[in-house]
Amino acid sequence: MPGIDYIFAALTPLNLLLALIGVIAGTVIGSLPGLTATMAVAVLVPLTFSMEPASALIMMGAIYTGAIYGGAYSAILLNTPGTPSAIATTFDGFPMAKQGKGDLAITLACIASVTGGLVGAAFLLMLAPPLARVALAFGPVEYFWLAIFGLTLISALSEGNLLKGLIGACFGLLLACVGVAEISADIRFTFGNQVLIGGIETVSALIGLYCVPVLIDLVATPDRHLKVTHVPRGFRFLEASAIAWRAKFSLLRSSVIGTLVGILPGAGGSIAGLVAYSEARRSSSRSENFGHGEPEGIMATESANNATVGGGFIPTLVLGIPGTPPDAVILGALLIQGIRTGPSLFAEGGSIVYTFIYGLFLATLLMLPVGLIIGRYAYKAIITIPKAMLVPTVAFMTIIGTYAIRNSISDVVIMILLGSVGWVLNRFGFSPSPIVLGLILGSIAEQGFVQAWTIGAATGELPKMFFGRPISLAIIMFILLSLFYPLIRKRWIKFRTENRQ
Amino acid sequence: MTSSKEISPARDMASVVMACLFIVLGVVALWDTTNMMDSDSSVFPRAIAIVMILLSIALIVQKLVYPAAAKNGADARASTIRRIVLVAVMLLCCGLMPWLGFLISGIITYLLLMLVAMYDTWTPVKKIIYPLIAVSVVLGFYGLFAHLLQVPLPTGILFD
Repeated sequence: MPGIDYIFAALTPLNLLLALIGVIAGTVIGSLPGLTATMAVAVLVPLTFSMEPASALIMMGAIYTGAIYGGAYSAILLNTPGTPSAIATTFDGFPMAKQGKGDLAITLACIASVTGGLVGAAFLLMLAPPLARVALAFGPVEYFWLAIFGLTLISALSEGNLLKGLIGACFGLLLACVGVAEISADIRFTFGNQVLIGGIETVSALIGLYCVPVLIDLVATPDRHLKVTHVPRGFRFLEASAIAWRAKFSLLRSSVIGTLVGILPGAGGSIAGLVAYSEARRSSSRSENFGHGEPEGIMATESANNATVGGGFIPTLVLGIPGTPPDAVILGALLIQGIRTGPSLFAEGGSIVYTFIYGLFLATLLMLPVGLIIGRYAYKAIITIPKAMLVPTVAFMTIIGTYAIRNSISDVVIMILLGSVGWVLNRFGFSPSPIVLGLILGSIAEQGFVQAWTIGAATGELPKMFFGRPISLAIIMFILLSLFYPLIRKRWIKFRTENRQ
Repeated sequence: MTSSKEISPARDMASVVMACLFIVLGVVALWDTTNMMDSDSSVFPRAIAIVMILLSIALIVQKLVYPAAAKNGADARASTIRRIVLVAVMLLCCGLMPWLGFLISGIITYLLLMLVAMYDTWTPVKKIIYPLIAVSVVLGFYGLFAHLLQVPLPTGILFD
């Protein structure tokens, strides 16, 4: 393992300050719906051009890791994922907040994010070159199966009506097809409307489907947004730590899943969070509580999405292929700094790389106090602010956040209309989460499917293409486990109970 | 996020109607795929549209063959008017933005939404403080996005 010199190089007062500023800025930007981690890094990256390469990397890593964590605030308190990677945080975070445990949920998210971030950074430090080869082993068909694995969550999110969940997912998958097709550039489902050629922007759709229904319901009654307790409870750090300790294996597994998914170019934090959530739910003894305010659900998602930070840096630094979208921005900044990424970087530019990795550890650790303090103020603000202020503020944030993604008023209109449709569908039992899953995983699934189909058809080995590759088979096994494990377990418990009697 | 409060057999028919709408949507999507030049573009959406139609038919059958009252999330106290006005005001903001610019349309939207969401009595203090806060919040966000994050917010045709 690289020497102690690099640790001291990372711990200079300047690097500490830059990491602190980066984490704070990233957390604040990430918490605003519409402003993703990619935007946070892209907006602040010019600040790093005049810095030393290692300091610049530390600041960018800190912004990135802070932004991924910041997305949890609005996911928990407003049911709106601040960044797409926090989608699965809404599943249990918002129910916890509704139960008056929003403060605990935020502290849990913070602890899980720090754990995930540390695990991701540890993998980056110790296993970067061998793990980078895993990324190259993933072909289109593996991405297709990974997207299908994410879609299996629909069975968990459909709240008793699987048919409605599946219809919602199909609706989301069709929404993902709107605009110019990625493979053959055909224009689909625009019906002659120029506005739709650009497609439905995923983050604005997320904001609409999750946040607008909350606003519509919020404005309809004088009730408070969240249940409030009048007893001051502090950060609830010890309580959250005890819960995290009980779920330590799940936390560790989710962090490893996040790191491994982060390594895959283009997969990103949203898939990492969804896959980790699915796995945590499958293996938990309290799986029936998932979706109703289960702390383990929040921890699985938040540890996985923060682990993608370290994981995503592995192919970025070793292969020069960005693992996640923010890594692509960071890669560009590195090129401006004159750093050539590639297998030789760890040998030739060791001082920069290892100083940065220790800096990433530092930034992740700083996220604990920073995240707890900002989280506490965010929670207090949401529960104390009068409704006449909360509704317009959140509505305004959704409008400006959506506009900022592509500088498009049409995106804002689509966001509001999709939100209204989502509210109506929710009234009839079509919950928004399957639609969102379809929308997010649609393009990955389609691209993987069509590419694999084309390759398989050209080589005359179509079945082998889809079902004959070892990684594909492993993912298919997890898909089947995810779908049928609850049923098998129920039957097994019933069988054992009958045998005992 | 509606709570299940009462049972209404009428809601089952509503699910059937929704399923019919999804069938129509699926048929429209299928029809649109016939205009696509490349089979690579049409194979995926066509498969999804067919699956959606089949699932919707299955839902209709389920609701008609096994009638069970669905959960009704309606809250008797909830104001439908406020809900509609909220969406209308947000859309109005989008309509005003190209003309009045982001700042002015944002302030108008914020103030209107404040009126829509107000359930307490308007005391003289609130009448002064709340609009001031509205302007400050919009200005704060405007400053953050337009100047710090360099997002080119619309200035408005009327002020160009």
